[in-house]
Amino acid sequence: MSRKWLVPITIVCIISGFFLSFQLKVQANNNNTNPLSQKNTNLVMLINDLEEEIKNQENIIEQIRNDLSNLENRPLPGNLPELQGQLKDARIIAGLTSVIGKGIVITIDDNSDGLKNNPQDDPNKYIIHYAHILSIVSELKVGNAEAISVNGQRLITNSEIRCVGNVILINTTRIAPPFTISAIGSPKHLAEIVTNGELDIMKSTNYPVTLEEFDEVIIPAYKSDLQFRYAKPVKEEDE
Amino acid sequence: MLKKQHWAIPITLVFLLMGILFSLQFQAQNRISSELSMQKTENLIAMVRDLSEKRQKLASEIVDLNGNLRTQMKSVQDESELFISLNEELTKIQTVTGANTLEGPGLEILIDKQMPILYVDIIHIVNELWASGAEAIAINDYRITQDTSIFYAENEQNMSITVDNNNLTYPIIIKAIGDPNNLDKGLTMPGGIMDNLSLYRAYPIISKVDLLTIKGRNRSFMYYFLNEYKPAEKPADTASPALKT
Repeated sequence: MSRKWLVPITIVCIISGFFLSFQLKVQANNNNTNPLSQKNTNLVMLINDLEEEIKNQENIIEQIRNDLSNLENRPLPGNLPELQGQLKDARIIAGLTSVIGKGIVITIDDNSDGLKNNPQDDPNKYIIHYAHILSIVSELKVGNAEAISVNGQRLITNSEIRCVGNVILINTTRIAPPFTISAIGSPKHLAEIVTNGELDIMKSTNYPVTLEEFDEVIIPAYKSDLQFRYAKPVKEEDE
Repeated sequence: MLKKQHWAIPITLVFLLMGILFSLQFQAQNRISSELSMQKTENLIAMVRDLSEKRQKLASEIVDLNGNLRTQMKSVQDESELFISLNEELTKIQTVTGANTLEGPGLEILIDKQMPILYVDIIHIVNELWASGAEAIAINDYRITQDTSIFYAENEQNMSITVDNNNLTYPIIIKAIGDPNNLDKGLTMPGGIMDNLSLYRAYPIISKVDLLTIKGRNRSFMYYFLNEYKPAEKPADTASPALKT
């Protein structure tokens, strides 16, 4: 008789436990974060496909740019060498070539230990936000960094650092923690600025942070497009 | 019988607790995940849109570059054709290096002295403009390029915002060339930078402009540490621990 009691009660309790927690979850989350929804699954597949295709395109672009710059290095007649020289410089300045030099490498990561120890706390206080990266990058620029990359994404003039939901993007490319920020420039100068700035703030809130100085930091080329549809160069006569 | 009841209560309690703990755990992991499958539908849609646009631009880039490559390969003798091709390439790259003056439609943002705006806000506005597809930006006619520093300087009287160590005078005018509607949307979207500034009662004035001119930069890019890096035949993984892609 007592056995008859036991089984239904445990089942009921398990079910009610799940229901309770489910309810909690629904209230806590925004209602449309449903990983199982068919629409989201399709969107994720679409994103993966697009990213794959973009990666191929970027590899092609890198290849052609390399071929072009090799080809354009050959001796040319007339006043072309001057133009060749300008183009070569412009490529380096724009960020279209891989570069090497003295510099620093910073890594920052989510504070997962902190979150584990305070599971009731707001998780947003423990993850890296795009604003952290933007601050560090801006400080590196104040320190006269000559080239910067984040997780292999070269920062050029038009590079954005932003987030969509919890996803951080640079050059419309997803990057995920841990973040490695490489910069070429005076290692002492760069290190001094960031350690007295954003890195110090992050350390004081227990984010895992490292900084190392190197004699050789390699920063890859920008592999994406330079397509401008609105900005038109003004002829020099009109200036 | 008494013994059996002893069993039932603890077990039910344990199960109940387990259920709740389980789900809490699940929830905590959910909320901070950057996994795509954990993102909101609207964000996924935004990503698809951005990626599709990028794919299109990359396709155009490949067409352009292939055109340049073909010209370079075939017309070794034809000086004028080579000149046109090289010049076209250079002009495109100069949009990024800031070497030439540009014009086009875009946005003008005016910031008054009374507005409580810090240099950090300017950094965020500029970053948001790039994110919204800006093609060129200048602050008080100082062209923004990849090495531009936006910071502050103080003396006894006051603190001023600086761009490449130049003090900005008020009103600060940020000009951006790009699709005026997209640029505007980027700044004014709910929860965006303008929303944020309004919490501090700062209301920069945004106006869409049909044609604005952004001057070329007036200083050259100085570099002392940087060298072009040509990977050897085999990628030199051991050369530096710095490169993580």
